[in-house]
Amino acid sequence: MATDIQISIVGSAGDGTIAAGEILRNALAGMGYKVISFDVYPPEIRGFGKCIARMRITTEQAYSLKHKSDVLVSLDDSHAIAHANEVRDCGAVIYEQGSIVRLPEGGHMSAHIGPGQLPYPLPIRELSEKSTGANRSRNIVVLGFIAGLFNLPAEGFRKAIGKKFRNKAAAVEASEAAFKAGLDYAAKTFKLDDVSFGPPVATVVAGATVEMINGNAAIVRGALDAGIDTFFGYPITPATSIMERLASEMPKRGGRLLQTEDEISAISAVIGAGFAGARAATSTSGPGLSLMAEMLGMGVIGEVPAVLFVSQRGGPSTGMPTKTEQSDLHMAVYGGHGDAPRIVIAPTNVDGCYRCAGKAFEMAEAYQTPVIVLIDLYLSNRYETVVFPARPPFEADLNRRPGKQAAGAQYKRYALGGDDISPRAVPGEKGGMHVVTGLEHNELGRPNDSAELHAAMSRKRHEKLKLALNHPDFTKFKRFGDEGPVDVGVMSWGSNFGECLEAMLKARAEGIRCAAMKVVMLSPFPTEGVASFMADCREVLVPELNYQGQFANLLQANIARPVTRLDRVPGEPMKVEEILEEIRRLAGNKAAQKAA
Amino acid sequence: MTKTKNVRHHVVIGSGVAGSQAAETLREREPDARVTILTLSSLLFYNRYDLPKVFRGHRDWREFLAFPAEYYKDHRIEVRRCSRVAGVDGSRRTIALEHKEEIRFDTLLVASGGRGYIPEELADFRPLMHPFSSYTEAVTAAGVVPERGHVIMLGGDMIGLDLARTLVDTRHRVTLVAGPQTFWPHEVDEDERPGLIAALEKMGVEVVEAADAGGIASIEQGARGLSARRVLFKDGTELYGDVVMPFFGLSPSVEFMLGSGTDIERGLLVNPALRTTGEGIYAAGDVCQIWSDAEKRYRFFYGWKNVRAMGELAARNITGGDEPWVPVQDEKLRIDGQGKLQSPFWEYE
Repeated sequence: MATDIQISIVGSAGDGTIAAGEILRNALAGMGYKVISFDVYPPEIRGFGKCIARMRITTEQAYSLKHKSDVLVSLDDSHAIAHANEVRDCGAVIYEQGSIVRLPEGGHMSAHIGPGQLPYPLPIRELSEKSTGANRSRNIVVLGFIAGLFNLPAEGFRKAIGKKFRNKAAAVEASEAAFKAGLDYAAKTFKLDDVSFGPPVATVVAGATVEMINGNAAIVRGALDAGIDTFFGYPITPATSIMERLASEMPKRGGRLLQTEDEISAISAVIGAGFAGARAATSTSGPGLSLMAEMLGMGVIGEVPAVLFVSQRGGPSTGMPTKTEQSDLHMAVYGGHGDAPRIVIAPTNVDGCYRCAGKAFEMAEAYQTPVIVLIDLYLSNRYETVVFPARPPFEADLNRRPGKQAAGAQYKRYALGGDDISPRAVPGEKGGMHVVTGLEHNELGRPNDSAELHAAMSRKRHEKLKLALNHPDFTKFKRFGDEGPVDVGVMSWGSNFGECLEAMLKARAEGIRCAAMKVVMLSPFPTEGVASFMADCREVLVPELNYQGQFANLLQANIARPVTRLDRVPGEPMKVEEILEEIRRLAGNKAAQKAA
Repeated sequence: MTKTKNVRHHVVIGSGVAGSQAAETLREREPDARVTILTLSSLLFYNRYDLPKVFRGHRDWREFLAFPAEYYKDHRIEVRRCSRVAGVDGSRRTIALEHKEEIRFDTLLVASGGRGYIPEELADFRPLMHPFSSYTEAVTAAGVVPERGHVIMLGGDMIGLDLARTLVDTRHRVTLVAGPQTFWPHEVDEDERPGLIAALEKMGVEVVEAADAGGIASIEQGARGLSARRVLFKDGTELYGDVVMPFFGLSPSVEFMLGSGTDIERGLLVNPALRTTGEGIYAAGDVCQIWSDAEKRYRFFYGWKNVRAMGELAARNITGGDEPWVPVQDEKLRIDGQGKLQSPFWEYE
């Protein structure tokens, strides 16, 4: 029996909502299920904002969260009530049966459970207090109840609890007691819902390891596997955990990480480190990228390798730091002064984060330019089960070195001609003395603003990047679904592609002839391949999480043909059903055209 | 949950036959009113009379629902399941739920029915008995009785005897430990009883008169490797079975109405129009005792048809009617041409 179950845990900050989600997804992944998980939390560090831990557990590959959950757990009705209608019919709603304060009419979850849903009121607080002497373990009580109700092996949960609270013996002891209380309560509960876990299907790939990991952690792993040796950064949500993880991992591998005073310093230091020959990177979000824009230009004109991991959030300005959005695409591709081309790649899932992170270092070196890996909060915080290869699929050194200079010859750091990639010497390299400046320069690097030279250097800086379109072992774009002509083609990028793929697959199941394309390489743009796909599509739908339709703009800047835009800014992932509805509508246009 | 100003809020406590019929009639007669059902059940209205089917292999709760979920959406009837009423304040017209939520009503219909009555001397053995008054209890009981297993039935009210018919039909062994509640709620004369017991035996039910053995002394776990339960009588005799099921009639669920300003005897006392003594509060079904002018006493009326009719009448009177209660089914227990029992309380639609 295939498993496809989505569980949402909703509570207040301080309820342990996110911790419960972490334990649950680790337990389920440890049992062999595939898990996609995305947590939502409030921007305020303190207070009682809403937290949601949402996960989809499957045996077959899934690409996004579902619109409807199968199970909703309320740790705080004041937040969870708004999500009661997100539970499907015959799904389960688990909630605190009592209250310690008087409630106004409608203030209890029981008032909001639809007639098709199954209620499971639990004395969560009481079970926590009886089993641990405190109400802090309410979240773990619920996990015990879930394990019991759905007949999941308790041992998997106990391992996940031990991992979560390692080195905290008292917390482990309390959690195990609370877990057992929930488990015992489930044994006395009559199961009415039709939520049922089938046996997991173990993912076995020789030599590979399977891990539950989120986008930021995958980026860190990709960077480490690619041999990052220097990192400078300044914390900002939702990118902070990249720096945090690197801070704990890099010193073990002889790397260096420094938290600078701001983003300008961070990118400046990265450019400096790249100039010095290091595999260097920084991480930031939209506001930080704004500050880095000037020095990004320095990296471009200096032809210095640099990697920027940029995780987008809702904007502009401080905007919605804990909400997701895809609204920094324009800035990533075009942001900055002058003609400052750069490579921008955008993974569409957690596995892609790993691969893009590693490949970004290769590309930065190979094409001597800054590379932006553009993700967003949804992908940063999204957990997926990822199969990591036994050997990192990244090249350790793609530098083109100057080699031995002919006697009396001057080393031309910015030599024109050939494939526009010049030999790059690092400071101290014998015979490699040269000048790097933010000023326009000649082949030696010396300032020169002649019109001819500026034109030649501008062309060089742009043309060499086109080589990245053939960068080996890297998927620039990929088509899914029906081959050949289709009624509707869905085009997307970044984290939003999972929802688009799910919608396309559902549309195909309904008999609509359609396909989807993910575009990973956004700059330089793979025009030829994308145009070929679009030529197959009677209608092109472009769903994305920004107001301006930034990807649609990019598409149309490169390929002149009309597309249908689906631009949304909900601060959370787009709904598969919304995309599916649009596919249906566009597919229906054909019938309308024929009728006309 | 929807809140609308200036519309009446009719609250029904209980989602059984009376409550559900009342909610439907309220909706029909006042399309704009808010109608809310409060129920302890975790399921929507299902027909209790169908429960014996669990012994025929029907275990999915969906098969027992009287209406699909869409019915409640379409009829705009809010159903608050797993909601235990802690108290009713008739003067403030508020209902306090046990989870500390307060609900305001304009009219209230109490149709909370009855729960299985257990005689006090057997109360300590409750954990060893399997009641049969709800879907979950029915499925639980069916789950512990093996194929062709032995069911010991205590009391033997008409709900139990209805189940006994199915059990015998499905080749289970049924032993009835008969007592004063046997045939409840039928009022059976002493001289009728032997014939009715004989009819039960003809149906395939083994009958033990508890009084003949001095009454039940205890109910215990059965010996290892033998049956799961042992019923020990005061005269030292004993019965072994797979399950012990109590059927001693129903006890009206009215505790939450104490202090509500309504008169209570065993059930809620209502006039022939089903009004309690509390303003705007009505009652219907197994929970209420209706004044009978003919008998000059308050009395209960049972049976699916009666209960449904009470629910409908209460709703009509809540919405402006003033009709008196008239029973719609006879109450006579009979023996048919094949010598088997036939009760009007087993009839339902």
